[in-house]
Amino acid sequence: MKKSLALWLCLLSLSACSNMGVKSWDRNLLAKPDMALNDDPITNAFNEHIYFSKEASSGGRGFGGGGCGCN
Amino acid sequence: MLQHAIEDIKLEDIKQPNIKPKEIKKALKMAVMSLFSASAYAADNPWQVETSGLLYSESDSRVSAVEPVVSARKEFADEHYLNLKLVVDALTGATPSGALPSNSVQTFTRPSGNGSYIIQPGELPLDNTFHDTRVALSANWEQPLSDRLRGQTGVNFSQEYDFTSLGVSGNLARDFNDRNTTLSAGINLENDWIKPEGDIPTPFAAMQPEGAVQARGDSSDSKTVVDFLFGVTQVINARTVMQLSYSISQADGYLTDPFKILSVVDDATGDLVTTDAYRFENRPDKRSKQSLYWQTNYRLDRDRISFSYRYFWDDWDIKSHTLDLSYRWNFAENQFIEPELRYYQQTQAEFYEPLLLASDLLNDTLPEFASADQRLAEFNAVTVGVKYQRQLANNQHWNARLAMYQQSGEGSPDGVFGSNAQFDLFPSLTAVIAQVGYGFEW
Amino acid sequence: MGLNGNALHINQCAGGLVGRFRAMGCPCEIVLYGQPADLKPAMQQAYQCVVQLEQKYSRYVEGNMVARINAGQRVEVDSETVHLLEFAQRCYQLSDGLFDITSGVLRNLWRFTKDASVPNIEAIVGLLPLIGWQKVDWQPPYIQLRPGMQIDLGGIVKEYAVDQVAQHIESTPLSGFLINLGGDIYVEQQDLSYPAWRIGIERPDAGPVITLEIRRGGVATSGATHRYLWHQGKRYGHILNPKTGWPLEDAPQSITVASNTCTEAGLWSTLAMLQGIHAEAFLAENSVQSWCYR
Repeated sequence: MKKSLALWLCLLSLSACSNMGVKSWDRNLLAKPDMALNDDPITNAFNEHIYFSKEASSGGRGFGGGGCGCN
Repeated sequence: MLQHAIEDIKLEDIKQPNIKPKEIKKALKMAVMSLFSASAYAADNPWQVETSGLLYSESDSRVSAVEPVVSARKEFADEHYLNLKLVVDALTGATPSGALPSNSVQTFTRPSGNGSYIIQPGELPLDNTFHDTRVALSANWEQPLSDRLRGQTGVNFSQEYDFTSLGVSGNLARDFNDRNTTLSAGINLENDWIKPEGDIPTPFAAMQPEGAVQARGDSSDSKTVVDFLFGVTQVINARTVMQLSYSISQADGYLTDPFKILSVVDDATGDLVTTDAYRFENRPDKRSKQSLYWQTNYRLDRDRISFSYRYFWDDWDIKSHTLDLSYRWNFAENQFIEPELRYYQQTQAEFYEPLLLASDLLNDTLPEFASADQRLAEFNAVTVGVKYQRQLANNQHWNARLAMYQQSGEGSPDGVFGSNAQFDLFPSLTAVIAQVGYGFEW
Repeated sequence: MGLNGNALHINQCAGGLVGRFRAMGCPCEIVLYGQPADLKPAMQQAYQCVVQLEQKYSRYVEGNMVARINAGQRVEVDSETVHLLEFAQRCYQLSDGLFDITSGVLRNLWRFTKDASVPNIEAIVGLLPLIGWQKVDWQPPYIQLRPGMQIDLGGIVKEYAVDQVAQHIESTPLSGFLINLGGDIYVEQQDLSYPAWRIGIERPDAGPVITLEIRRGGVATSGATHRYLWHQGKRYGHILNPKTGWPLEDAPQSITVASNTCTEAGLWSTLAMLQGIHAEAFLAENSVQSWCYR
């Protein structure tokens, strides 16, 4: 049940996507480096490694950079 | 009459073939570069290098890790990038072995079979055998494949004393709606080889005293992991961008921790049995994980807020929630301070057992899988931290981050009884995370 | 020393020097920040660079390279001119023939003032055979035009001059500079203890001024807000289509682009302007930082 709800949310958001957005000349703020979705890959990689070895969950944002024997 | 005149005028052959609109960006850049051919504008792009060091340290002499990293990125042709990364990871310290504390002294054999360690009464057994250095290398190439399509491919390699990992990945991203929407799909294939000291233990075999023959299987085993990731990134308005991703991962092979054990206790008293009291754990040889991840970045005039939520679930019955919030305070043009907060909560794996009952061993009614590994237990965790970065001239910067991670679990989980109820099986784990980094061009 | 008495006037400003002069038919301004001893020679060097380019490529200077080419002679051009003509040819290809340095002859017919009238159609048609880069005999380094044809490098030289000046003064240890030749701009301010350059985006309507904060890059604007004429209730901008001899339809009033260099910005804004109604889409497709006004 939870899984199909999640998939529906995805599809809904996709169809709503086509009307949203900005023109190229309004991308001023969006182009700032801190607006990148992964603006600090090094810290995110450190965190993912720590949480992968201390917790049972992993992934979500992207793929891990490789396995380790820590879990 | 004007119309008639225009038709008479035909364009003669243009000296070079027509340029397709899609190639215009590249063509334009090259045209400008040729105009200034001997100039600094046509200079080779430098490597963007980031060096950073992580220090991770848990309280009560548990795990400590030092992890220096060097990563470099260079643009070789228009929008064609190579990313390289080298990580060295040195780990020392002790981690809970899965065994229970006891009112008497306990002796455990080291995995190699040639040594043992002693745990005092009332102490949570920590195994400090594992200290290892890992070296990991990764390379990743990204480039446009057509006007709105970008591709990435990468390879990852990691090596430590008893573990080798090799993986490849690929990813495609396509823009829509004036580049306001991006759909992406990726795959990651990984194969890991484990060769633990003392070989792969037989599941539920008893830990033998030092020097005696341990019940072992092969010297090594392996596992394969296949991940798929699907994402959509959407610009909501001039200040907001969101990402929604779904990922699914399938692992097959040896997923057990060869160093973790469970204590066998008497059904009535909960006391440790007198012989063969420690048994090696056993996990399923398959695991299917899924997650949904949602991130929002919102830009104020000067600062930026970032929020994310991940819901994770797998077929080991583990479900988790992760909430992440950070606020980048751009208080000066070349500096920022970014406090962060993370909350994490997970349920236990269906085969998580804090102990084994003597009667189950006698009557052969043991569960098929069991592990007392705290990482599979129910707990929540909070991270609080702050990062500082300063831009310097010539595209250099340095940064520092300090954070604290605290895990709190159930000190007396279900299934614990008798003499074990007095012990805190999940003492709060507190760790300090410190990071310093420096970035420059080369 | 300058063209038509357009001398260089230098003034002090906080932390630097400001040089003002007229060249290429517009007001020019160069701001330099750095050590005082370095600034004055750098300013002179920058001014000379602009003046020399103007001498070489202006249609108003008698006997210069462009004048000899326009006289129909077979001219061997120098390497800088080879680069510029090759660049002009590339612009012609990238714009599918809409950007054409031989289209200047149409200027004699069209006057873009409010009360001007549309020229005689026969006169326009009569000029069309004299327009078209494909008719030029260009075998680098030799160029020859057919009788009656003219080339005008005005559309390229100003932005090129901005970037050339930047290149010349880059060898001087400056902490930052701004070169503005009539709205074609290049700036650098890599020293983070100074604020970034703030450039106002010109707009034809009465809206709030947009300020671009930029540390390194070029800005160029295509279209001018005041050169147009009215004919039968329709406003015609001053960008002419060399294939028809008529102004482009549905072109934006002005397009400003920010890019890595001034030449690149100018090329984007020109190519976008030539897309007429599709200008904004063209820029968005290529992720160009730009501001279009209709």
